[in-house]
Amino acid sequence: MNLYDQLNEVFREVFADDSIQLTPETTADDIEGWDSLSHVNLMIAVELKFGIEFTQKEIRSFDNVGQMAACVQAKLTK
Amino acid sequence: MNTCENIAYTCLRKPCELGQGGRIAYKWIHNDLSDSQYTYEMIDQASNRFAQVLKSLGIKKGERVSVYLPKSPELIECFFGILKNEAVSCILFSTFGESALYDRLSDSQTRFVVTRLSLLKRIRKALEEGPTNLQAILVTDLEEHQDDFVLSLPALLSTASGSFDFPAQVDAETPAFIQYTSGSTGKPKGALHVHSASTSMVASFKEVFHLEESDRYWCTADPAWITGLVYGVIAPLVTLTDQVQFGGNFNAESWLGILQQEQVNVWYTAPTALRMLMQEEEALFRQYDYSLLKRMYSVGEPLNPEVYHWGKKVFGVDIYDNWFQSETGSIMITNQPGLAVKPGSMGKPLSYIEACILDEQMQPAPVRQQGFLCLKKGWPSMFRTYINKEDLYREKFNGDFYISGDLAYRDEDGYFWYVSRSDDVINTAGHLVGPFEVESALLEIEEVVDVAVIGVPDPILHEKIIAFLCLKKGCEWSRALELKCRVNISNKVSTTATPQEYHLVDRIPKNKSGKILRRVLKAWYEGKDPGDLSTMEEA
Repeated sequence: MNLYDQLNEVFREVFADDSIQLTPETTADDIEGWDSLSHVNLMIAVELKFGIEFTQKEIRSFDNVGQMAACVQAKLTK
Repeated sequence: MNTCENIAYTCLRKPCELGQGGRIAYKWIHNDLSDSQYTYEMIDQASNRFAQVLKSLGIKKGERVSVYLPKSPELIECFFGILKNEAVSCILFSTFGESALYDRLSDSQTRFVVTRLSLLKRIRKALEEGPTNLQAILVTDLEEHQDDFVLSLPALLSTASGSFDFPAQVDAETPAFIQYTSGSTGKPKGALHVHSASTSMVASFKEVFHLEESDRYWCTADPAWITGLVYGVIAPLVTLTDQVQFGGNFNAESWLGILQQEQVNVWYTAPTALRMLMQEEEALFRQYDYSLLKRMYSVGEPLNPEVYHWGKKVFGVDIYDNWFQSETGSIMITNQPGLAVKPGSMGKPLSYIEACILDEQMQPAPVRQQGFLCLKKGWPSMFRTYINKEDLYREKFNGDFYISGDLAYRDEDGYFWYVSRSDDVINTAGHLVGPFEVESALLEIEEVVDVAVIGVPDPILHEKIIAFLCLKKGCEWSRALELKCRVNISNKVSTTATPQEYHLVDRIPKNKSGKILRRVLKAWYEGKDPGDLSTMEEA
């Protein structure tokens, strides 16, 4: 399972929506319910899934899924 | 029969009849900051088409239609289409999860609900929770009907006429809309408002905002909230106010950009939004020009003095805080130009409102003594009942006075000062959250055997939600379990109801009849003396 498939799984679980199909360009505007509060849930879920930790700065910096995936990838390859 | 104008007539049809049909009713700014302009005639005709659709589906006067859409032009058009049929509108926050939705759809006996595809799944899940009166779901971005239950609104609208006849005058007590609000116990309560309410909505708008014809106004509230519906839709339309609407969520750069780009003169927002703006770097504020901003207003939670002073420094204008509730239907107490601002105070009652502080015996409290904030009943926008909960409605009154549920005091100059809620309702980011809904969602988690939630002061949200949990024997707390709790609340109730902190306890303090002693939990959390524990159930 590649990184996007795994992220897709996390998003579907957090937003209880099986139809989510992530692309690098996906933003909060594209996913119903992705607001600043559910973003906290999402970050915890991503951290747990990949066994990583985001800094507060990173959590606030993602403009789209592509940036989030790049950050996850960088942490996994460290 | 005492009559009044149908709100849809006053807001849309009347301006068209008076030759204002081509006037811009609002400039709509989309998420991507592109914009569209909507004239009175465009909104009138679009709502006519929706009214025709409802009529063709057999809607009857007094029946309820819910609108479960994010803030959008379609939401407003649906609202007026419902009112043109003298049906009753119920706008639901698009952040509501399935349990919150089910409670409101079933309690309101909604016959039709309007939504969009991305929210349809939540309605389907909500309908699994129990029976409703729902006859059909109308989906705004579905090309063809799925079946007899899930209908394409565009398909229905394609054959609907742009004209719709409806009586301009209605009985003054004709129900217009339901506004749900949370209580400290039990399910949410639907406050019912009538068409004659628009009288005080418009009167308060004029008295509080002092708008001149050339002023541009921006209310940031969602129409699912009473502020957004009354001061973002109804009152500005009736008064032909030049206004902008923003369909996106809070974003500091977008908001500051709109203030500058749209040359906003009068801005109505919420203290939480201002406190979130305060977190931004000072340099950000220097990138924008607010020289045309004349004043700001806020509502939803108390405006801290430090936010007032910050606003004055950054934007160079006063922030006038005001107070009202879903039940009052319009602003009751306010700060406004011409009245010296006492930072932290909610101001003084409007000219036609009698507010007072009553003590435990429902007698007038002395100056500066904390008591129940009450209003003499009789203003036109006062709610008429809590639907299906007439007993709870009656409990909100003592003789001639409406008991707001807020504790406050009045100073020697007649200014009112908010203290706290008198019940267990939590005011977080301007949203009232009932502990019961959150606790119910937490109890659905297999590992949780007992739970209590409370609100505690928070520098950004006014109050944040704290959960105390008892876990099943052998279960251990983990981040995975925290995530499970958070996601369940977000998806069942709403993201705004999600607790910020989770604390494990051996037992939830309760009195001998099983009522949660939230004051004890608050004392524990704040490291204070919990006081008299004689009524507490023994372990």
